[in-house]
Amino acid sequence: MLGKLDWSAIPFGQPIPLIAGGVVLVGVLAVLMWVVVKGHLPYLWHEWITSVDHKRIGVMYILLASVMLLRGGSDAIMMRIQQAIAFQSQGYLPPEHYNQIFSAHGTIMIFFVAMPFVIGLMNLVVPLQLGVRDVAFPTLNSVGFWLTATGALLVNLSLVVGEFARTGWLAFPPLSELSYSPGVGVDYYAWSLQISGVGTLVAGINLVTTVLKLRTKGMNYLRMPMFCWTTLASNLLIVAAFPILTATLAMLLLDRYLGFHFFTNEAGGNVMMFMNLIWAWGHPEVYILVLPAFGIFSEVVSTFSGKALFGYRSMVLATMAICVISFMVWLHHFFTMGAGPDVNAIFGIASMIIAVPTGVKIYNWLFTMYGGRIRFATPMLWAVGFMVTFIIGGLTGVLVAVPPADFMLHNSMFLVAHFHNVIIGGVLFGAFAGFEYWFPKAFGFRLDERWGKLAFWFTFSGFYITFVPLYVAGMLGMTRRMQHYDVAEWRPWMIVAAIGMAVLSIGVICQIMQLVVSIRNREALRDRTGDPWDGRSLEWATSSPPPVFNFAFHPDVRGEDAYWDMKVHARKQALEHAVPEYHDIEMPRNSPTGFVCAFFATVMGFALIWHIWWMVILGAIGAFATFVVFAWRDHDEYVIPAAEVAAIDRVNLEERRSLVSMAGAV
Amino acid sequence: MSDRTDAPIEHDLAPGEEAQHTVGERILGYVVGLGLALLLTATSFFIAGTNLVWQPSIPVALIVLAIAQMGVHLVFFLHITTGADNTNNVLALAFGLLIVFLVVGGTVWIMAHLNQNMPPMDQFIRMHS
Repeated sequence: MLGKLDWSAIPFGQPIPLIAGGVVLVGVLAVLMWVVVKGHLPYLWHEWITSVDHKRIGVMYILLASVMLLRGGSDAIMMRIQQAIAFQSQGYLPPEHYNQIFSAHGTIMIFFVAMPFVIGLMNLVVPLQLGVRDVAFPTLNSVGFWLTATGALLVNLSLVVGEFARTGWLAFPPLSELSYSPGVGVDYYAWSLQISGVGTLVAGINLVTTVLKLRTKGMNYLRMPMFCWTTLASNLLIVAAFPILTATLAMLLLDRYLGFHFFTNEAGGNVMMFMNLIWAWGHPEVYILVLPAFGIFSEVVSTFSGKALFGYRSMVLATMAICVISFMVWLHHFFTMGAGPDVNAIFGIASMIIAVPTGVKIYNWLFTMYGGRIRFATPMLWAVGFMVTFIIGGLTGVLVAVPPADFMLHNSMFLVAHFHNVIIGGVLFGAFAGFEYWFPKAFGFRLDERWGKLAFWFTFSGFYITFVPLYVAGMLGMTRRMQHYDVAEWRPWMIVAAIGMAVLSIGVICQIMQLVVSIRNREALRDRTGDPWDGRSLEWATSSPPPVFNFAFHPDVRGEDAYWDMKVHARKQALEHAVPEYHDIEMPRNSPTGFVCAFFATVMGFALIWHIWWMVILGAIGAFATFVVFAWRDHDEYVIPAAEVAAIDRVNLEERRSLVSMAGAV
Repeated sequence: MSDRTDAPIEHDLAPGEEAQHTVGERILGYVVGLGLALLLTATSFFIAGTNLVWQPSIPVALIVLAIAQMGVHLVFFLHITTGADNTNNVLALAFGLLIVFLVVGGTVWIMAHLNQNMPPMDQFIRMHS
């Protein structure tokens, strides 16, 4: 009846996951209780859960990523403590638990922190920057988000029901095959990634279509803000690369469920083919993450230097070059597999070449800052911190792109330090910069600068204290994923790294404090103009938070830095007082399709993991029925009358005029 | 998205759409496509089993027919044309082809070298016995 599921799935014997799971469960139940008792449920349902508004979906993506960041961060803290104390001893984490933790840490940080964070920012900002009212497929957008949330839910469920994979974040066979991992851990891993992978693919298709097909008047390709370009490149990569991941995991699942032999040791399976395929997705994936971050830094650097982005066209070219070359370097993840010097040399050279467009970008940012009047607000601090950190990470990357050097450093702590150097220094700093930069746009008030700067300095220094020792340990020969070790030379570095982790945690606490303090002081921090940073692109041309339709009129774009031009124009021509003629606006209706679909996907995923076949059929039928009901709907849009548009827009215009006249007086 | 009255880009079409064709013209297009596709399929089956042509040329002929088949599908069913609004579709196709070529070609190349350098166990035993 319940497949493999019985009481032995609950880890009664292991206090750590049980207590952690219990605390989370109590927390979730308490929040739910509070929501129901306070009567917030209808609001939550109508305004957020069923929302198809790209801004709301973007915020929900970022919320998901932030919660998962805390989960993945706790895993990191546990690993650092384990390695600090497990010198000639077993530490406090038994091996099978430690292995689950590093697997979950990697999986969660990439798929459920970095991905939703950048997709959330793209969702929130790109339609605003393009001057349009929503993404191309609003309901599909909601489906994509909820499927990602399903994946995150399943991964976290494995904490208390069953176990997670012990195979590392990419589940390499033959270890991940049934003969070596008979438990449900790998199934949890594979099914959550399959489900959230569909969500990511859907988001990618949606954003590509949005950038290609929905742009406001005059917004041709070479007038788009840089963030829109990097969004385009990143989502093209999603559309091209995620099917590879889906196919590879599908083959692994066929091996595990139906006795196929794609990647098994025996019966003609080829283990190396898995490495090859997973990295053919895995390398574009790192650019999927970091390209949007590059876009965010471009916006931030240009805004806070008060200058147009230096070398806009070279930046576009570099972005698209990275988009293509990222598909030519995947073998550098397995130089040591033994494909021989010819193959290794070609991929090594390609890996060094891809550093060139990235270098172009760094110089462009530096020259944008050169001669500018730089304001060191929190987003700019993250941007400058990124440039320093990312250059170091990039240089160690070029070092391991040299095959002979890689043979020494492969699978060592040096590698761990390198990819954290680029992912934290690139993607996470970018996500934080974007968070600080666009928060006032999303919610209508700024974040507290003092706590923001504290958060930056603690995270920045904590990062170096944690990861520089790992470089050293790698040079001393320490391999990754060690549950305990006997080499005395490594010990001090592990202790320093653990201290660094504590500093990093203080950074995270500052970030949370910043949010709490800012929400408390929101009246004082209120942004009435919609343009708190003296911005340059169109998202700042509407109020904060933007009305549901974003713009009362599609803005008319006449050049790069559209909103900056408008401001200059408005100042020169004094103030335009003509009352515009408003029209009715049609907007897509909210729809529970995404949420209901994801509910059935969760049921199906859980049932597949535990081999509960009747429940699988139930979930599949439910998800299909949801799709049919959605496809047959009659009313998918509602009308906002012109009078209401006018009322909303007039308030925005008044605020903005007072701002322009004040600036004109100065 | 709505508000087509002042739509952002003029003469904008969704991918796969074609401008200003009557239903009759469109049906004709699909019928011609279907006819060509069937013809190419039938020819492939015929050639595969015939003695009328030089035998070694058969695989080459099948490859040519398969590529022609893809062309028919692209033009008549997926509406890839060289028209003004079709740039996105053509570029998407080119990008897709490039990625497929890189991933499949790269994989074949890598795995061939790998097998040569580190042959699977059964092959290894055969080579050294």
